[in-house]
Amino acid sequence: MKLKKSLVLAISITLIATVAWELYWRSQGFHPTLNDEKALWAMTRAKVETATKNDVIILGSSRAYFDIQVDQWQKSTGKAPLQLASTGSSPLPIFNDIVNNTNFNGTVIVGVTPGLLFSTTYPKAFPWERPQSKVDFYQDRTYAQRLNFLLSVPLQNNLVLMSADEEEWDDDIDLKSLLKRVNLGKRDTIPPPPPFYNFGDVSIPRNISMMPRTVTDTVFAKSIIDVWHFFGKGAPPPEKDATTAFFMKDVEKFKAKGGNLILIRPPSSGGVRMGEKMGLPRERFWDSLVNVANVKSYHFEDYDQFKDLTCPEESHLSLADANFYTEELVKILKEDNALTNQKPN
Amino acid sequence: MLFNSLSFILFLIIVLALYYAKILNWTNKKRMLLLSSYVFYGMWNPPLVILLWISTMVDWTAGKRLAVEENQKKRKMWLLLSMLVNLGFLGFFKYGDFLLENFVTIVNSIGIDFKAKPMDIILPMGISFYTFQTMSYTIDMYKRKTERARTFLDFALYVTFFPQLVAGPIVRAKELITQFYEPKKATANQFIWGLFLLTIGLFQKVVMADTLLAGTSDKVFGSSKLLHGVDAWVGTIAFSGQIFFDFAGYSTCAIGIALMLGIILPDNFKYPYASLGFSDLWRRWHISLSNWLRDYLYIPLGGNRHGITRMYAALMITMLLGGLWHGAAWTFMVWGGLHGTYLILERLQRRYLPFEITKWNGMFLAFVTFSCVNITWVFFRARTFEKAWDMIKSMFYMQIAGEKILDTFTIVKICTVIGIMFLCHWYMRNTSMKEVSLKTSPYVLGIVWAIMTFLLIIAQGSGEQFIYFQF
Repeated sequence: MKLKKSLVLAISITLIATVAWELYWRSQGFHPTLNDEKALWAMTRAKVETATKNDVIILGSSRAYFDIQVDQWQKSTGKAPLQLASTGSSPLPIFNDIVNNTNFNGTVIVGVTPGLLFSTTYPKAFPWERPQSKVDFYQDRTYAQRLNFLLSVPLQNNLVLMSADEEEWDDDIDLKSLLKRVNLGKRDTIPPPPPFYNFGDVSIPRNISMMPRTVTDTVFAKSIIDVWHFFGKGAPPPEKDATTAFFMKDVEKFKAKGGNLILIRPPSSGGVRMGEKMGLPRERFWDSLVNVANVKSYHFEDYDQFKDLTCPEESHLSLADANFYTEELVKILKEDNALTNQKPN
Repeated sequence: MLFNSLSFILFLIIVLALYYAKILNWTNKKRMLLLSSYVFYGMWNPPLVILLWISTMVDWTAGKRLAVEENQKKRKMWLLLSMLVNLGFLGFFKYGDFLLENFVTIVNSIGIDFKAKPMDIILPMGISFYTFQTMSYTIDMYKRKTERARTFLDFALYVTFFPQLVAGPIVRAKELITQFYEPKKATANQFIWGLFLLTIGLFQKVVMADTLLAGTSDKVFGSSKLLHGVDAWVGTIAFSGQIFFDFAGYSTCAIGIALMLGIILPDNFKYPYASLGFSDLWRRWHISLSNWLRDYLYIPLGGNRHGITRMYAALMITMLLGGLWHGAAWTFMVWGGLHGTYLILERLQRRYLPFEITKWNGMFLAFVTFSCVNITWVFFRARTFEKAWDMIKSMFYMQIAGEKILDTFTIVKICTVIGIMFLCHWYMRNTSMKEVSLKTSPYVLGIVWAIMTFLLIIAQGSGEQFIYFQF
């Protein structure tokens, strides 16, 4: 039968082409990893609904995400934290969601990346819209979307060809991303942003760790540094008063519910650190926030074990250093009785 | 549930396994299909299945009474009940906020200070499709054009049949219900052809619409800048391709899935971008809606039976309401109004400036039709009149210092894709995929199928919703 022949041929060619495609990208140094997508965030966010006083939620931007390692935290405290930090995001929309839409009154650790936390409260601004879209997705997600995600996890964990991240990395290998790399010239005079490559491996429970290549390949690390410098130079002036006022409303509400808020300032280094010192000096931003929030707070510069940590791409810690940072941070928090109901050392 | 999702693949495998397993008789298979259809719909928002049930119950009852009732007044009452419920749902869920917004504008314009909070009503997926489908049953029953569904199960399955539930084709009762009366089973050829159609449909949606075209149209229509003419045209033709591949893709998937179950659904698209004029366009684009509007709106409004003026009025009203069917916004009305105007102008041309269509002028005429259709898409896609007007100004070079937001490759890519699409429509306009496949070597067909499947796999759609779901 004619159509049967076509079907058999189509299946055979598709199988061969797909296997060849997978092997080719593996030979180029790619390895399977989960996409850091809204569905994964929402799965973790759902756990907040049943979280208890003993639970810890981590909020913030990519620094809190890379630098606090979930496994290490669990080893040190006996319980995995709920990692809800979001890359390139202000923590304010997600903290607002936790405070206003849940009964959670355990511990919330907010990682402060000054350039993002103090950036804006404008709903359409990138650092706000991005985390808000995660919150909206969680609230609106359908049962079909939940099932899609569950079915996609084993595929993402085992196939390189499944790398089509929402982040739209410049080294994604889905068809759309590959076509985006074709360049026949620009028609405007605006300089393009530097290419932004994926440098984190994502796993379940939601956790991200720096890809080893970022540590060993300095050219690759430099490409990420260029991105930070590009964003740093183009960033609008911070909106300290508006962001602080927004945050404080939720801080007061959270405290009134009996919640335990902790502020941390994870490390940065090199040019990024220099830029932060100039544009967002500690005294005017971090110290001021700590002062008004009146909660326990931990700046990496205040601890001997942290102040010399070097970020391979100036903004996030390598996996080894992130494990060290997590372990030491938990020790500090415990010594300071900052964590409630945690297992003793 | 979306066809372009992993959950649907799993769902379809389970449905097909149960359908072709020998454990169920035909009635139980239909029950299974009905239950699956509710699951298919409920995976999006379970409570809204209740609307489907209400619509089903009301039209089943109305149809049952219309089958036996002889009193004309009572017959009319049953018809009105059905229309009231279905159009009531549509009015409340789809047009509630739009009506409120316009009411506020009107009262404010006459000096009354009134503010209303938007109702933020959730739009049930596919409500415009299934309400039109159930209404067609009751209207046909009223006009004694169709027979009453034999059983409630057959009728409920007609309303809810998952392949075409949320975005059509809008199928008439006599086309679909009768197919449920006898056991159905796809032949091996039908099953494989259905699978082929499903692949083509997904390819159209995921690769053509979402991967190749959507980004450009989103960028152009999302820009707040006044654009360069080239950018405005490229964005517009990208959208014209996107909406075709998106919607035709859905219909092709629906037809393919139904065929895998041995059920035949009618064609919904016949290469519309090679239409020779606008009457031809509406015989080729969203055929099931065009037919619905013709039979249940244009003809009852008088059609062409009461003189030219009345015919033009009926045509314009039909197209304006057709525009509004697509969305609760004045921009959709303008889209419908433009199509109504085109249709009237075409009739005037035929009357006063008739000319013969030859193979020489045909392609040019098709290109002119396609270009005019593109202008209407601007109003369909733009979220505001300001944006639509800015686009029109850019497209017709009424402002020259527009921003260039697209790179050269994007322009080349879109023009190539749309050019190929137009030529394909032109060469396919008098034939069908089935006919072409019969003339094609099975090896060539297999290779084409494999290329589409491979591109689908590496495109890895992010599960973008079909555009027509929102209608």
